[in-house]
Amino acid sequence: MYAQFFGNFLLSHEVITKEQLLTAMEQKAAHRPNLGTLAIHAGYMSAGEVEHIHILQTHQDLKFGELAVQTGILTEAQVNELLSMQAPDYLALGEALVSSGIIDNYELERLIVEYASENEIYDLDSSEDSREKVEQLFKHYLHTSEKESVNEFELLYNTLLFNNLVRFIGDDFTPILGSKCLEYPKSFCVSQEIRGKFHIKLYIDMPETTCIAFASRYTGDDFEEFDEYVAASLEDFVNLHNGLFCVNVSNDYNIELELLPPMIETSPLFEFKNEAFLMPVIYPFGTINFIFELDCNEE
Amino acid sequence: MKLEEAKILISDDSILSRKQLKDAILHLGTPTFIETSNGQDAIDSYKREKPDLVFLDIVMPVKDGNAAIREIREFDPKAEIIIVSSVGTQAQLKAAIEAGAKDFIQKPMNTNQIASIISSRFEGR
Repeated sequence: MYAQFFGNFLLSHEVITKEQLLTAMEQKAAHRPNLGTLAIHAGYMSAGEVEHIHILQTHQDLKFGELAVQTGILTEAQVNELLSMQAPDYLALGEALVSSGIIDNYELERLIVEYASENEIYDLDSSEDSREKVEQLFKHYLHTSEKESVNEFELLYNTLLFNNLVRFIGDDFTPILGSKCLEYPKSFCVSQEIRGKFHIKLYIDMPETTCIAFASRYTGDDFEEFDEYVAASLEDFVNLHNGLFCVNVSNDYNIELELLPPMIETSPLFEFKNEAFLMPVIYPFGTINFIFELDCNEE
Repeated sequence: MKLEEAKILISDDSILSRKQLKDAILHLGTPTFIETSNGQDAIDSYKREKPDLVFLDIVMPVKDGNAAIREIREFDPKAEIIIVSSVGTQAQLKAAIEAGAKDFIQKPMNTNQIASIISSRFEGR
């Protein structure tokens, strides 16, 4: 998980110009081998089968790999093998810069190391203990929650949320088992929606006294009463988490999501239209309720 | 130009982000700040006040940051606009650069990055 997009890192370190970045972004999109090409190369699919899946994709909003498994052409193991052959998107960007002679491989190697050490969210918190704690908490959460299965985006979303709590609020928290949520009476609640291939609305809710302590930890200022800065701290945290999630999805999957502005909820009781999960997180200063409203109907 | 004489427009729907950005700049000097909380107000303030530097968020109500950059740059092609956003994805970065942004700061803000943007444009105290 990264704290910023590789291209922005290169730009802010003045390794490349804006023009070079734009050209490289176009090049890598054109040169990156897709799953179909890799499958032909590996001898798993014929060109006709690849073509067939491409046609199916025009009717169903599913990934190439998902359709190939559904139609029985590939096994899941084969899809995973092909996916691992596809370099993460940021490496493709690096390759495009090398092939156009803007940087050489030695420089790319150095930049990747520097990028990872500056931007890996785990490393920002640096302690191995925190990392283990996040992994353990998440396993426990998945194990005990009522949710039957999680897709890779939900996994990334939740792991990142735990990391962001460790990073911005503190690691002295305990998440309580997630449960399905049909309606919810709110205290002070902020929500924000992400749209696109992964559609989720995150709610963060807590009593005003807990908000004050949360905001004090988040900003490093000592708030004594509930005011507009305290309210804005909750919005800011949600916006930061969701923004970083969009950056990671863009960086690793080359998928762009749309983030809407955060909102303060005014309705006293929510009734969820879609599948929603409540996950309380207990800190010494109070309990934070996170609600994830999922909408799996892809747009 | 001296930072003390500069006008800086900060447009972000989060009052907290505006405060954090102002605090980071106030370590370096005391320019005049103009604040707005959406893209349309940023455009209107720019036309009225002609600030020397603009910090813009992308995800904002009414009109987003990228739309605001385009309108501001149409009015003043030399406008110095820096994006400050939590959504530094490939598409957002590309859109911001193409619209004419000079730099893109990924939130959470790094005060050193703010300091280098300010000191490369203005003389300190």
